[in-house]
Amino acid sequence: MSKIMTVDILSSIKGAQPSEAVNKLFDVIKNAQPTNNNSFNNNHNNCVSLDNLRDDVVIETSAIEKQIIIENFPKSKNNYLVVSKVIEE
Amino acid sequence: MDSQIHKIHQQLMNKDITCTALIQEKLDLLKPNTYHSVNTLLDDLALELAAKVDAKITKGESIGLLEGIPFGIKDVYMVQGTPTTASSDLLKNYKSAYTATAIQKLLDAGAIPLVKENCDSFGHGSSSENTIFGAVKNAINPDLVAGGSSGGSAVNVAKEYTIFSIGGDTGGSVRQPAGYNHVYGLKPTYGRISRYGLMAYASSTDCVGPIAKSIEDIRIVLNVMSGKDAKDQTTYASSEISKASLNTSNGIKTVGYFKNFIENDAIDRKIKEDFLAAIEKIKSKGIAVKELNFFESETLVSTYYTLAMAETASNLSRLDGTNYGNRIESDNLKETYAVTRSENFSEETKRRIVGGNQVLSQGFSDEIYLKGLALRDTISENFKNDFEEVDIILSPVTPNTPPKIGESLKNPHAMYLSDAYTVGFSLGQLPTLTIPQGTETGLQITAAKNNDELVLKFANFLKDTI
Repeated sequence: MSKIMTVDILSSIKGAQPSEAVNKLFDVIKNAQPTNNNSFNNNHNNCVSLDNLRDDVVIETSAIEKQIIIENFPKSKNNYLVVSKVIEE
Repeated sequence: MDSQIHKIHQQLMNKDITCTALIQEKLDLLKPNTYHSVNTLLDDLALELAAKVDAKITKGESIGLLEGIPFGIKDVYMVQGTPTTASSDLLKNYKSAYTATAIQKLLDAGAIPLVKENCDSFGHGSSSENTIFGAVKNAINPDLVAGGSSGGSAVNVAKEYTIFSIGGDTGGSVRQPAGYNHVYGLKPTYGRISRYGLMAYASSTDCVGPIAKSIEDIRIVLNVMSGKDAKDQTTYASSEISKASLNTSNGIKTVGYFKNFIENDAIDRKIKEDFLAAIEKIKSKGIAVKELNFFESETLVSTYYTLAMAETASNLSRLDGTNYGNRIESDNLKETYAVTRSENFSEETKRRIVGGNQVLSQGFSDEIYLKGLALRDTISENFKNDFEEVDIILSPVTPNTPPKIGESLKNPHAMYLSDAYTVGFSLGQLPTLTIPQGTETGLQITAAKNNDELVLKFANFLKDTI
């Protein structure tokens, strides 16, 4: 596969083209002048500190939740939900 | 208007009405309504819950303030066992397997969900016309749009089909329809309420937002939904806002407004005049008013949409008919993805996904996406400086009055610009409330991060001032 992909391939939307309305927005950004050009120098992010990570525990899914998931994916084979084959390229 | 929640609570406790009769009355209003505000009616669930409340009252047991209070939910929230469509073809048959934290907290408090409400598909729009359930009509004038994307939620509150509704605000999706339909709508500080179970549009700005007819009802619902949630690690612990704390405007000495929002050609003349008249009334109460300088509207809108589109392209990439969504089979898996996404997404959603992939792709990311992030930092820095000079920032909600149904669809760029006054506060992750006063589409009250209490306090002050 080519390393350069068009937006319709990237977006998995057939025949998709960049829109004029959206390009107008991007043009404004291109011409704007931020005072801070390094976007990683800020202290107002919402990252979680290492001390505050939640515990890595397995939580059993409730019976009703499992049932609804099965309803959302009705196809099954030998009691397993059907999973599509992996793209091989 | 006084608190509807307190009023109904008293009526239930005094046995003036039964909860079942109340819920049935609201369902009877919602079912035949012509405003296209309903996607799914949760009638069986609502009546079952109402019967339980009635049984408690009959036994002489006391009930909580929210117990038995009917509310609506924008159709982007998971509520276990109910359809959650995001008003899209892609998820029109999707059923939630679990319940969003914010909604679960309301259910735990005894509030009764009546309806999953119509909205712009995946929150993509400022008019509530990008939906498979039909354009939502404005509660004041049905020829006009309801505003978006939480249009159905705002209309249901305005028409009193629900006592309050839970919308979702990314770039103004609660505040703008609240303004168009003359009700209160709050975007709290980012992280105050868990986003777990809210379908992700742009994760760094998505907020759970209550819509109601009184400040007190907003306060009650906000308190119940707030709090740190292990399932959303961007949440933080916040203290409860008391009723008494809203009764004094002490601490608000200076109000600011952005000069360039008001002094430009894009704003409707009447909205400008009314806004300046409101400013004069505030001055007459002894509060200092300061003019502030800010980014011009086009930069704000462009920064917001660039980042929001990048995030939505990433968030919606999971909707391919395999992981989620209405699958359309084709020749091979890649074709199946493409056909599924091409047929099931709305034009507006596709426009945003493509735009997002553009800015995230090689050759564009530095020039647009990273620059957008840098602009966002500058915007946040500006707010920080502003709030060292003023306590509150006041602004109109929109530059213009609601357009007629159909007009926004013809001109997407104009629709993006209709968010000019709301998106900046979203980028800053600031608490902002629309109040149905001051201009035709209301006023926005904004305070510094985590200062949601001050926003409600000032709204209470303005209720009697303008």
